[in-house]
Order: sequence, then structure tokens, then C-alpha cells
Amino acid sequence: MPADSASLEVRATDRRPWLPHWLTSESPLPWLLPAAALMAVFGIYPLIYAVTLSLYKKNAATRKMVFDPTHNWTKILSDERVWNAIYNTFLYTGVALVFQLVLGMLIALLLDSDRKGYGVLRAMMTLPLVIPPAVTGMMFLLMLNGSFGVLSRGLIAMGVFPPGFSILGTANTAMAGVLLAEIWQWTPFMVLIMLAGLRSLPKEPFEAAAIDGATAFQAFFKLTLPMMSKVIAIAVLIRGIDLFRAFDYVKVMTDSGPGTATETLTSYAGRIYFGNADFPYASTIALLTLIIVILVSTAFMKAFKVKL
Amino acid sequence: MESSRPLRIVRDVTAVTVVGIFMFPIFWWALTSIKPISAIFDKDRVNFFDFTPTFINYGVTLFGQSRSQLAIDQGIGMGVGGAEAYDSRQSIMESVIVSLGATAITMAVAVFAAYAISRMMFRGRSHYLNWVLGQRFMPPIAILVPLVTIYKTAGLRDTDNLYMGYFGLMMIYALMNLPIAVLLMKSFLDDVPKDVDEAAMIDGATRFQTFRKVVLPMVKGGIAASAVLVFIFSWTEFLLSLFLTTEIRTVPVKIQTFVTSTGNEWGFIAALGTAAIIPSFVFILLVQKNLVRGLTLGSLKE
Repeated sequence: MPADSASLEVRATDRRPWLPHWLTSESPLPWLLPAAALMAVFGIYPLIYAVTLSLYKKNAATRKMVFDPTHNWTKILSDERVWNAIYNTFLYTGVALVFQLVLGMLIALLLDSDRKGYGVLRAMMTLPLVIPPAVTGMMFLLMLNGSFGVLSRGLIAMGVFPPGFSILGTANTAMAGVLLAEIWQWTPFMVLIMLAGLRSLPKEPFEAAAIDGATAFQAFFKLTLPMMSKVIAIAVLIRGIDLFRAFDYVKVMTDSGPGTATETLTSYAGRIYFGNADFPYASTIALLTLIIVILVSTAFMKAFKVKL
Repeated sequence: MESSRPLRIVRDVTAVTVVGIFMFPIFWWALTSIKPISAIFDKDRVNFFDFTPTFINYGVTLFGQSRSQLAIDQGIGMGVGGAEAYDSRQSIMESVIVSLGATAITMAVAVFAAYAISRMMFRGRSHYLNWVLGQRFMPPIAILVPLVTIYKTAGLRDTDNLYMGYFGLMMIYALMNLPIAVLLMKSFLDDVPKDVDEAAMIDGATRFQTFRKVVLPMVKGGIAASAVLVFIFSWTEFLLSLFLTTEIRTVPVKIQTFVTSTGNEWGFIAALGTAAIIPSFVFILLVQKNLVRGLTLGSLKE
């Protein structure tokens, strides 16, 4: 066909013959380069810098940096606060995940209905997700205030705590207080994902099960859960990564306190940074966080065969 | 599944109660924001509605009203002066600038990368994708400490040059949002059949022309949804802004300064907090349909 061959002759590549091929839009390079440059300059370079930094020892008196590759990494092993922070980080991540997952699934099952009004309820459930976590932290700080906080007053009235009890000011309960804000804000995340999962399930197996006389519980454990396993795994992975770097609520509500009761890895690194300005050690702990995240999430992805 | 009427009523009541419990904190903050000081600090009871509503908290934080006016109005002799410290208009402006800038940069970079990943076959494609995804796994703290030093040497600190400070913060927000933007855009682009591109290119269009004239208009909705999510994540970010900038105070950082040694200004905190969540609420309702896809980096669709 003459028309086609005519247009083929002015093929794109020939329009700017002076351009090398790899610079034209036919080559993937120009498309990928801007994002790659952003990642290289603002991601990889600082990361390499952090690794180098962790190999130096900062002399507290002279404030000079001395090359001493093992200093910070061995210091971690003997630093009790690091172990405390690791414990707190895992505790925080684990407890929040369990609550968010279970509550999220239950609420999703509850709201999965096509009847009137349920759409509005589902839309309302998404609202906590978009509040700045630092603002959420402040608001829970207000509500948990020992003398006039509405939640504290409620719990005291119910006899859970003695009058004037400060939930965030007591070492044993501070973590629970911080977790309350975390769970409140991010349970809707799980609700949304579980709802999407539930809505994508095929109807037939459930109809068949109903005919066979299966109860709702049997249907849930034998059908819903297994079919949702991929969705649940993705949700747990994404949420877990975010939980592990918990900072905002801890910083705002307790500032890692009282003492080190709510100190997580990220907040400990921040404390060293702001406190004694030992940048190499702060970097080392930040890198330790990264290493743990990579190890745990890779293991999780392997074990549950998840791919994002 | 839902057979009997009483069962349905039980479900409705439970659903409304559960959602109500989740809405309670937001309601309480909004309520606190219009309370006078005496009602906020009521130590005798939990004060729900027994107060005269006041808008002074919004006046001080959002309209630059003087704080001493508040003291006079309420007949309390506390907190004279320091009015500017609570005027948050500047912070809101700064937050808007940083969030918009970061969104623009992220989307500009991400759409191109996502197009190549979605449409072209090249060596190292999966490596590139993993590299992008890897940014999502990295805790920001890991690069924060060196970044402060790097920004100092590169002149990207806001204390040296305000514009460079904005730029620096926008770039790091762009990096943090890159995975979600790239993967989300890839998922939207994958929805457009490749025949569309091939047809255009057979007609003699270059890759770029195909992209701009044919594919881009077809993913407009996806770009809007991704941009909204990136904006929200930038708007709510706290850690990076806290460490990297001193002059530029985004709203989440600004609100922390209301915690003072002489006591926390709960009225102002509640007012600014309530005001800060309104833009996000509006936006989230706009992207309701694509929210799940966004939150799971494109791996789940609703």
C-alpha cells in the first residue's frame, strides 16, 4: 500500500538524524534517566555517605572524626539502648499489625454490604488515613492527658486506672498509649484493602458452601481467608515496613520516654542526632534499621511468596 | 447472607457504632478547637457541650489575630505577647509550596519512567523496577543524617538560601514518593492496551509523540489520582521536614511548637490540626476509587 510505505519512510528515528539513537525517545534511556538521577543523587549517594560515616569514630572532646571501621558496629552490640530499641520496635510493629489486621478484617466484613448508607460509612472510614501523623499524635496527647483528657477520664471513670493516672507518663502504659494513636489511624488502611479483597472474591464457592450447609464461620475460615491470603500478605508487608520505621507518634507523644520506655530504633537514632550530635553513631543505628527491614521483609516475601 | 430483619438491624447498629468510634477523635478535636480555654482545661468533668463556642483559636492561628486579644476576651491574664508565634499562615503557605512542588517533580519524573517500564523491553527492566521499589523499603532515617551534611555542603539548607531550602525539601519528598508514583502510574499505563501505541507508531509518530498525544490523555485520571496521593503524603510528612529545615516549617512541624514550657496551647493545636486535615479530606474523597490501588503500590485494584 503506497500510503503506508510513505509514512514508514519518515519513521520517527530518522527525523533527527544527528541525534544518537540512545538519546531519542525510541530508546528507554531518556525516559528512565530523570527518576534514576533523583534516586542516585538523593537516595544512593546519601546511603553510601551513611555507610562511610558509620566507619568513623567521633571523638567527643576534639569533635574530630577518626577512621575506625569497627568502633560503631561493636558499640551497637554492647549498647543496651539499642537492644531495648530493637525490642520496642518489634513490639510496636507486632502489636500494631495484629490489632490492625484483626480489626481491619472484622470491620471490612461488617461494612461489606451493598445496602444504603454503607457507602458513606466506608468513605468515612478512610478519613483517618489522611491526617498528618504528627497531628494525630498531638490530638491523642490531648485526649490521653491525665487531668483533662477525654480518653483518660473515660478509663478512670471505668475504674481501669486510678484518678489522675497519666497513661503516657507511666513506663508500663506509655507504649499502649502510643499504639492507640497508631492503631486508630492505620486500621482504616487494612479495612480498605480487606474490603477490596472481599469484593474481588468469586461468589460461586460461597453459594455452593451455603447449599452444603456450611455456617458463616466455616465459610470464613475455609473459603474467605485462604482466598484472601495474597491480599493479606501484601497488606501486612506494606504496613509492616511503615510500622518498623515508627517515629512520628513516638516523637510527638512521649519523645521516646518516659526514660527509654517507648524508644524505637528510628527515635533512638534521632535522639543521638539531636542530643550528642554523634552523627557516625546515629548513622550506624539508622543503617541497622535498614538492614533489619531488608532482612525481615525479604524473608517474609520469600516465605509467603509475595511480590509487589 | 443477610436473611432476617433483626439480624440486619443488629449489623446496621454495629456498623454505625464502629464507624462512630473511629470518628470520635476527629469530632473531639473539632469540638476542642471552638472551646474557650476554661472548657478545654476543665478538670471537674468531661465537658462536651457546656461552653460558649469561640472562634478565637482559628483567629489566632489562621488569621493572625493577636493573642492578647484572646486574654482580654476571656478575662485571663495569661500569655500576653508572642502572637506571631501562633500565626500559622506562613507555615500553611510553606506546606502548600513544598507539597505542590514535590508533587510536580515526582509526577514529572515518575510518568516518564513508568511509561518506559510499562511499554519498552530493555535489559535490566526488573532491576530498575526493584530499585524503585527499594526506595519504599528504606527508612528515611537511614539517609537523613548524611543528608543534613550533604545539604550543608551543597548549599541546600534553608538557613543559607530559602529557595534552595525549598528545593532540597521538595527533592527529598519527591524521592520518598517516587515508588508509589512510578508503580501506580505503571499500573494505570498497563491498563491501556499496547495496540494503541503500535497503531500510532505505524502511522509515523515517534515514541514521544505517541506518549504525549495518545497515551497521556488516556491516563489523565490515573495521573490525577497519583498526584493527589503524592500531595497527601507530602502534606502529612513530618520526620524529614523536622530534620532538614529550620526556616521552613511545614504544618506538622509548626504545630509541635505550640507545645511550650509554660503549657500546651491546646486550643491552637486543635484549631490548626482541624484546619490541616480539611484539604486532605477533600482530596481523599476525590480519589476514593483509586485509593486501594495507590496504598498497595498498584498491586491491588478495587
